[in-house]
Amino acid sequence: MNSILKISILVIISGVIIAGIILPIPFIPALGDKARILYFHVPMSWIAVLAFFMSMYYSIRYLKTRDNDFDVRSYSAASLGFMFCILATATGSLWAKFSWGSFWNWDPRQTSIFILLLIYGAYFALRSAIDSDEQRAKLSSVYSIIAAVTVPFFVFIMPRLVESLHPDPIVNTQGKINMDSTMLSIFLTSLFGFTLLFFWCLNIKVRIERLNLKHLRSITG
Amino acid sequence: MGSLYDFLETNSMYVVMLIVLIIWIGIFGYMWRLDGKVKKLEKEN
Repeated sequence: MNSILKISILVIISGVIIAGIILPIPFIPALGDKARILYFHVPMSWIAVLAFFMSMYYSIRYLKTRDNDFDVRSYSAASLGFMFCILATATGSLWAKFSWGSFWNWDPRQTSIFILLLIYGAYFALRSAIDSDEQRAKLSSVYSIIAAVTVPFFVFIMPRLVESLHPDPIVNTQGKINMDSTMLSIFLTSLFGFTLLFFWCLNIKVRIERLNLKHLRSITG
Repeated sequence: MGSLYDFLETNSMYVVMLIVLIIWIGIFGYMWRLDGKVKKLEKEN
């Protein structure tokens, strides 16, 4: 990734932080200034979903080609997805403390993201339990595909089926985006900036994992 | 002490923004350095 792109990531996200925190937002009943979490919390969960799907894509590629590099990419995408999922949970939980009065109250949104974290936690447990490289790559690829199939259910479907206190999703039940134009532009810029940041993180993570693998192979022969 | 409290109370949004910016710039700097170190290791290998 070249330096211009990295600097633009710095500029975009810094701009989002400055504009998102300082610019006034319209009055939103029951939310007020707490609505600003939207600029940071939603991109985190969007990236988690994107990363889990990328992990699934690379797993399918691995199962087709048996090229170990795809396994490295699939694992890197899943671990970044897991990290962003934890960040989405943590930011959401902080917000819940000030809006609902407690950090954790088993709202359908919180329950579904918790189950998602458990599913991907099991993925890493599975990977660490198998010694053989090939066997590990094969089994975790299959697991990653199955795990990613459950993602839309836990992120998009389940919280809409059950009564939840979580504010309306960005695209509401009528399928329309109901947001002030300034807020919408900051939000979209934030999504774009964080997505770029994710790809940079993924690039570094994949390169580290490749070096790691090379090093391990040189030790074991 | 009272004036500091008043300052923080009236400018709380700016204080939050400054802290978030400092954390973000720190993360960015860390990633930039990490990227450079990985590049160096790739050249050595």
